[in-house]
Amino acid sequence: MLAYILRRLWQMVPTLFGVMLLLFILFNWVGGDPSYILAGKSFSAETLANIRHQLGLDKSLPEQFLIFVQQVLTLDFGTSWSTQQPVADILGSRIGPSLTLALPMLLVSLLLSVIIAAIVAYVRGSLTDRLVTLICTLAMSVSALVYIIAGQYWLAHKLGWFPILGWSDSLATNLWLYVPLPLLLGLVVSLAPDIRFYRSCFVEEMNHDYVRTARAKGLSEQVIMLKHVMRNALIPVVTSLMMSLPYLFLGALLLERFFGIPGMGNEVLNAVDRSDFPVIKAITIYVALATMLFNLLADIVYKLIDPRVQLK
Amino acid sequence: MMKKRILVATIAALAATGAQAADMNKVLRVAFNVPETGFDPAKVSDTYSGAILENVFDPLVTYDYLARPAKVIPNTTVALPTVSADGKVYTFKLKPGIYFAPDAAFKGQKRELTAADYAYSIKRHLDPTINSPWSFLVDGRFAGVDALVKAAGKGALNYDTQVEGIRVLDKYTLQLTLNEGNYNFLQILAMPAFGAVAREAIEAYASNTNAKPVGTGPYTLKEWKPGNKIILEANPNFRKLVINGQTLPKVGRVEVSIIEEEQPLWLAFVNQQLDISGIPQAALQEALVIDPKNPLNVKLQDKYAKQGIQLERKKDLEITYQFFNMQDPVVGGDAKEKIALRRAIAMAFPRNETIAAIRRGQAVPVHYVIPEGVAGHNPAFKGAVKYDPAAANALLDRFGYKVGADGLRTQPDGKPLSIEMATGTSGIDKQWNEYWQKAFDSLKIRLTFKYGKWNELNKANRQNKLQMWGLAWGADYPDGENFMQLLYGKNAGDANSANFKNAEYDRLFEASLQLPDGAERNKLYDAMNKIVVAQQPWIFGDTRIRSSLAHRYVKNFKLHPLLNTTWRYIDLQK
Repeated sequence: MLAYILRRLWQMVPTLFGVMLLLFILFNWVGGDPSYILAGKSFSAETLANIRHQLGLDKSLPEQFLIFVQQVLTLDFGTSWSTQQPVADILGSRIGPSLTLALPMLLVSLLLSVIIAAIVAYVRGSLTDRLVTLICTLAMSVSALVYIIAGQYWLAHKLGWFPILGWSDSLATNLWLYVPLPLLLGLVVSLAPDIRFYRSCFVEEMNHDYVRTARAKGLSEQVIMLKHVMRNALIPVVTSLMMSLPYLFLGALLLERFFGIPGMGNEVLNAVDRSDFPVIKAITIYVALATMLFNLLADIVYKLIDPRVQLK
Repeated sequence: MMKKRILVATIAALAATGAQAADMNKVLRVAFNVPETGFDPAKVSDTYSGAILENVFDPLVTYDYLARPAKVIPNTTVALPTVSADGKVYTFKLKPGIYFAPDAAFKGQKRELTAADYAYSIKRHLDPTINSPWSFLVDGRFAGVDALVKAAGKGALNYDTQVEGIRVLDKYTLQLTLNEGNYNFLQILAMPAFGAVAREAIEAYASNTNAKPVGTGPYTLKEWKPGNKIILEANPNFRKLVINGQTLPKVGRVEVSIIEEEQPLWLAFVNQQLDISGIPQAALQEALVIDPKNPLNVKLQDKYAKQGIQLERKKDLEITYQFFNMQDPVVGGDAKEKIALRRAIAMAFPRNETIAAIRRGQAVPVHYVIPEGVAGHNPAFKGAVKYDPAAANALLDRFGYKVGADGLRTQPDGKPLSIEMATGTSGIDKQWNEYWQKAFDSLKIRLTFKYGKWNELNKANRQNKLQMWGLAWGADYPDGENFMQLLYGKNAGDANSANFKNAEYDRLFEASLQLPDGAERNKLYDAMNKIVVAQQPWIFGDTRIRSSLAHRYVKNFKLHPLLNTTWRYIDLQK
């Protein structure tokens, strides 16, 4: 196992290098020139040249890439080009609010969707199953933006059950006052596709021969579902979960914008809008690292769930 | 006038209860719909950052809150400066006893504002290591400063070198000597960017001056979560500022939320999570009764009027325009057929439709390079061409832009005619593009769009790679020069985005610089506008009208044409 982990970690190096190269090329190709934002609305060629010099944009591309490599090795991405704030401070202050919303959303969504999916898979073909499938299909066909706009309008404005928006320095205040509505709307958006997907996983497993054999052996439906079907069906669930974990760091853009949550989602958008390459670099690298690490974690969890899985 | 009287009466009535310092229990909650970038006066130029600068820093002079048209008055000076007979030497006498907000940079000492602080603050705009976005306002303006800047090369300016143009005569006396007389100079100095910073504070926070603003203004930055929240608190060292018997500021804390989406911004105001707010485009119909015959005639919807919500409106000191690149071989140049092409495009654009549909009627057409409210504006001058697609087509026919077999026009020399317009990628850009497409279709001219972010398009324009692009220009100061310079030949490739070069226009512009605001200068402006109309480097756009709302308990709510915020004058009586 240790050898496998070490090998996978080593394999991350070229992958990360590829991500860096791709990001660097893309930014220099379509990322926009931030010096034209910083210079203001009227400026001289000297001012522009000074800004480019200070940002290091007058260096050759290989030199700029080498600086990028150094930044990744030290995980020090310097300061934001647009606000001059240290990138580490920016990300440090953004990650907390994003996780405060996204983590409970992920956990509650996972729990609810797995339970509902297991139940409807168990009663597949019944009216309940068809009704849930229909509701899920309808729910999936509505844009997330509609839920957010309608939810905020009705639940916060018309009914006054929640504040329209806001964020506090206190975690407790956030969890009981500001998170519930975006959390609820986030769940509404994410539950339907998750239930559909997990239901398919369960149904597929329940159609396998080993389930029939288990029944023939006289095992109870409860044991078959929880001990046999669940274990095998969990592998795609774990895959889906692990794939979504890195995106927790990116936050929920729309929810953050509509509910005034100072998370990563808005920061990403602003950074792209302002061609703020240090912030873009840092976020991309951290998300790439998180994706690779969670993929590795997913493989390890497969092994824990099903000992038959061989890690090679 | 009536509103003004009521406001003055209110202030007077409040004054009767006695002057009072800021009440720390009073919290004014407002919002920006675009994130700020920072709070170093020499480093930021966006409106939203400027709104904070206005409250943290003190320029030498400012604007009278109540006077209309806007009037410059002393701020930290005992009076307006004395000006030499040739209009080049300005001498400012500072009020003694003005102190910076307490800060660790002052090591526990009370730090008094001096003339040297203003000298330092002005010089920062010329420092090559700072790259001030406002350097264009001071570059080459002060006597002897160019040599200082040149000596700095790409390094930092030597702030200790005395130069003729920026002299500290004594602790409280600052003398500024200009290379040329300039009638807008005080208005430039009234801008938030020219507020005084303390050198020791700037040096103490050199790595992050944007996050550590230390000024002498009515408020001080208490907390900053970039792009999310800005909290200001009353500056405990703020001088005694009494206006109409009231000690200002009244409100102890200002909380600014950044709300970029329209719905939460509007609902937050309606639900009293905000005290003051603009009306987002999407909520205009919900908030206002707009007279369909005259959309500028508006009033609050009854349900909001009954709640005592106050409505204030102001016409922005701005113009929008679509420029042609005058150096472009297809749309530029002085040749008659090129002018005809530009004129025809202008005639085919349904400006009134866009005002009705996109601006929801809350804008007025531009007819003059200088907008209303800015010195030099001429309301009688109607420079915009009339919407007339049929006449536009006839004009193109007359100048040889023939319709080919593919149903599209060619250039007079038979080459294909295709025009590329630069545009952004937002939803509102798409709306504009639809109208432009419609205009070009009506002329049978092929139109393509070059999409890009603002900075990329700006770069392309400076590299002379654009044919057409739409821009807006807001007044830095309320003088016609700030607008007429947009077509001055020496500014081509910079503020003069159209690369317009016309010797007569330039001559008139240079002559206008020698004149104060008045009939003589206005004649020159009229002549310059006639050149613009004749040459058509721009298609005039519109000037937007902003509506702002405040809840019943917000007192002294009045918009100012130039001040971004009036928080220091506001009181809350819930």
